Amino acid sequence: MPSFFKEYFDRVTAITTIALIGVGLMSIYSATFDTHAASSFYRQVIWTAIGFTAMLITMVVPLRMIQRTAYVMFFSSLTLLLLVLVMGKVVYGSKSWLGVGGMGIQPSEFVKVTTILALASYLSKSNINVANLKDLIKASGFVALPCVLIMLQPDFGTALTFVGMLIPILYWAGASNFMIVIIIAPAFVAGAAIIGTTAFLIVLVLLAVALYMVREDRFFATLMFGFNTMIGVFVQVVYEKLPMYQQKRITTFLDPNNDPLGAGYNVIQAKVAIGSGGLLGKGFLHGTQTQLNFIPKQWTDFIFCVPGEEFGFVGALVVFGLFAVLLFHGVKLASTAKNKFGSLVAIGVTALLTFHVLVNIGMTMGLMPVIGIPLPFLSYGGSSLCSYMIMAGLLMNVYANRKEY
Amino acid sequence: MIGEEFGSPKRKFVIQLVLSCGFLILIGRLYQLQYIYGEQYGRQSEENSIRTVVKVPVRGYIYDRNGRLLVDNRPSYTVMLTPIDFNTKSLPLLAQILQMPEEMVVDKINRGKKYSQFTPTRIKRDIDFRILSLLEEHKDKLGGIEVEMESKRYYPTSARMSHLLGYAKEISDWQLDKLGDYYQPGDIVGSAGIEAKYEQFLRGDKGFDYISQNAKGQIIGTFNNGKNDVPPKDGLDMHLALDVRVQALAESLLTGKRGAVVAIDPSTGGIIAMASKPDYDLSNFSGVTPSEVWKDLTTDEGMPLFNRATLTRYPPGSTFKMLLAIAGLEDGLIDENYRIQCRGAFPFGNRVFKDLHVHGSTNVIESIQRSCNVFYYGLMLKVGFDEWTKYGREFGFGKSTKVDILEENSGLLPSTEYFDRRYGKGKWTQGYLVSLGIGQGEVGVTPMQMAVYAAMLANKGHYHQPHAVDYIYNKWTKKTDSVAYDRHDVQISEKTWGIVREGMRRVVMEPGGTGGIVRIAGIQAAGKTGTAQNPHGRDHAWFIGFAPFDNPKIAICVLVENGGFGAVAAGPIASMCMEQYIYGELIRFKKKAPPIAQTPNDQLVE
Repeated sequence: MPSFFKEYFDRVTAITTIALIGVGLMSIYSATFDTHAASSFYRQVIWTAIGFTAMLITMVVPLRMIQRTAYVMFFSSLTLLLLVLVMGKVVYGSKSWLGVGGMGIQPSEFVKVTTILALASYLSKSNINVANLKDLIKASGFVALPCVLIMLQPDFGTALTFVGMLIPILYWAGASNFMIVIIIAPAFVAGAAIIGTTAFLIVLVLLAVALYMVREDRFFATLMFGFNTMIGVFVQVVYEKLPMYQQKRITTFLDPNNDPLGAGYNVIQAKVAIGSGGLLGKGFLHGTQTQLNFIPKQWTDFIFCVPGEEFGFVGALVVFGLFAVLLFHGVKLASTAKNKFGSLVAIGVTALLTFHVLVNIGMTMGLMPVIGIPLPFLSYGGSSLCSYMIMAGLLMNVYANRKEY
Repeated sequence: MIGEEFGSPKRKFVIQLVLSCGFLILIGRLYQLQYIYGEQYGRQSEENSIRTVVKVPVRGYIYDRNGRLLVDNRPSYTVMLTPIDFNTKSLPLLAQILQMPEEMVVDKINRGKKYSQFTPTRIKRDIDFRILSLLEEHKDKLGGIEVEMESKRYYPTSARMSHLLGYAKEISDWQLDKLGDYYQPGDIVGSAGIEAKYEQFLRGDKGFDYISQNAKGQIIGTFNNGKNDVPPKDGLDMHLALDVRVQALAESLLTGKRGAVVAIDPSTGGIIAMASKPDYDLSNFSGVTPSEVWKDLTTDEGMPLFNRATLTRYPPGSTFKMLLAIAGLEDGLIDENYRIQCRGAFPFGNRVFKDLHVHGSTNVIESIQRSCNVFYYGLMLKVGFDEWTKYGREFGFGKSTKVDILEENSGLLPSTEYFDRRYGKGKWTQGYLVSLGIGQGEVGVTPMQMAVYAAMLANKGHYHQPHAVDYIYNKWTKKTDSVAYDRHDVQISEKTWGIVREGMRRVVMEPGGTGGIVRIAGIQAAGKTGTAQNPHGRDHAWFIGFAPFDNPKIAICVLVENGGFGAVAAGPIASMCMEQYIYGELIRFKKKAPPIAQTPNDQLVE
């Protein structure tokens, strides 16, 4: 019996997930128990129970069935997204907005899961080869659809997470290095162009080196280099022409320290919270920053401040460790899974989680722009918790089926 | 060949490398923040030195259709307390000055503390000048206490408009939980009527002042010369379709009664008047609401807080006859020449359904004019239940009107399925239908639905979602935001309208009509009386109508509970309200009245 258990039950995912949720619940409790949002903790407990059920179901559903229904789930979740968009537009008159509050669901969180599944299902077909430009573009379409709908909400940060997930999946599925460079490059070029000419030139040099190293068709490479240069110049020209306040908005986004009481306020307070935690932290429920609510709504996107402040360097390392174990395990699972679909699902889930973890903790510590995405398993929010638990369930499912072709 | 690169060891390595780099950067940053700068941040967290002071915006004003100010704001003084600066030894003194029990003050302080120790919280609103001067006198002993000027609602007109406007009051704990992040304990929030429905627009946006303070929490001055301060944005103004003079008249005519008046502009669905009696005085809610006032309101058996205009539900009585007539005419079951003999009773099965009079030979126009029941008992059986229900739905019965006042009863429009569910399939008989034909029995409508019905009879089938707010004036863009409302048309032939509306005109304008009492000098009006049978006491009186006949400007519904006959109790109220609206004054009390206009009767006959 124990060997059967070991063979089919993914203990690593199960233990790290549960431990992370535990840290999350403690943090939410600490951040809210003495405020008007005290009910958040109990709601999150209920959501945990719901998420747990969802995780167990996801774990035992036959993987082939998930693969076969992936498109259906994908498109129905998109319909839900569309519905939100349409309903959200009805402003006054016929719809009452007061009733909307409370325990709503956020379809965009679930679309993350269905997009991974649809993409994995598409890429695992035997006649699809992402080394082929046409297939690569089609595959990207699976991400473009939800991205556009979410951008319209408008929720830029969430839309970005889809791109963060797409690139590793394409890479894993065999897209050429050249293609990956081409996809990533414009974002870096545009960002650098805004920061300044020097940064722009450095990125261009790096791009040239990268293009040389991946060694594809030289003509096409030169064309792409020229294209990126143009993007950079264009962005710089447009940026210069923007009114001051809009320029300020962009620089504040890239570096929140520019606006200490507006957008930068949270980041500065978050850094103070984490920094003041020191080596061992101030103790559970004793973080002054946390308890005095210096960080508005920190139980959502800025939840990492709580373990950072109350449990210090050691506590934060434990959280990092749990995430690291889970994510490296995900990569390993992707490479051991014999089943192509399972492998792609594992890498997709891992990529999405990685993007969230790095960007969320990065923004809490002032390393990344604040784009408002949750920290998986820790942040308050029913829809996001459930969708991450479903993702954990998917990893466990892939584990159980890893030896099947 | 596809599998070559798929998940190759090289690719696995690259991914692991990226992952490792990511974590190393995070660990490096963590080390930098907590280990290298840890002490510095520790100090900073102890003397976190910027405090936020919330600036409350002025709530939006509300105007009527002629631009008369209905809801104004007046200055009022509020006592604020910053928990961390307050010395609890001064608690008895403070309680004594404010004339509040000590526990209540402590309770308020604790509520504020939950939000923030450093933010001032409201202890008492709307204090009078005596308290203000006492606070000033003991200023040195009362650290952390400030008096802030805020505003409170003031109602400059004589109309009460209790249920329509609703009140804005201090936020309760459950509202705080439900409405979320914008609000703080002590904030004012719209909690009924328009104040609640349009809360988002009326409230405005809070502003913030940033103030520097030292480690002890004492204020040093403004932060960065106030450059970072965000000024509050005042709320937007609501312009209603209401005519406050009609409203005031309707309220005064209902005084001492229980009932409701709803008047609607048939061309837009805008609410001209919405009165419900008994009502309450909104100014009781503008400052501090004494608990005895609240207790009186909630325990009064007249239920003054209950909005009869949208919540009360009674059978429509004879006012429903037009609906059935339309169904019969449209389905081709009867025409204008169809006649029955009314002998004052209608035997059906082993029951006899009564009429008030013996009407003799009656056609459809006369059946409306004289309110002949027998005509409709028979017609109901001809038309059948399902058709009747279908037309009822078209006129908006049995569902909410989506009026922009939050509480609403959707009424009851029975259907075959409903009776099957309630009594079981085959366990109810056609006899149940007969009384529905004259709007009695198991059918319920609200005055709001009836006003919409009257408006549709006036404008020949255009359904407009009834609404109080006509447009919102945005002070910031200097533009008016018009509010979009649903509308749809009911397809009914011009001929049918001609017949039914002629019947309604004769009710008021011709001898033998049941509503002659409604006549207005110089105007052709139309209408229908109704009496809802009440098993518990005196019948309820209905009147619906519109005027002028050819170009209706106002449609109205009047309900007087236990009023007896519709014509007597409800008719005069409707008549005066329509007159007030059309003439802008009550001409009937002036000496010279213009003669009644003549309208040819031939418009319906082909």
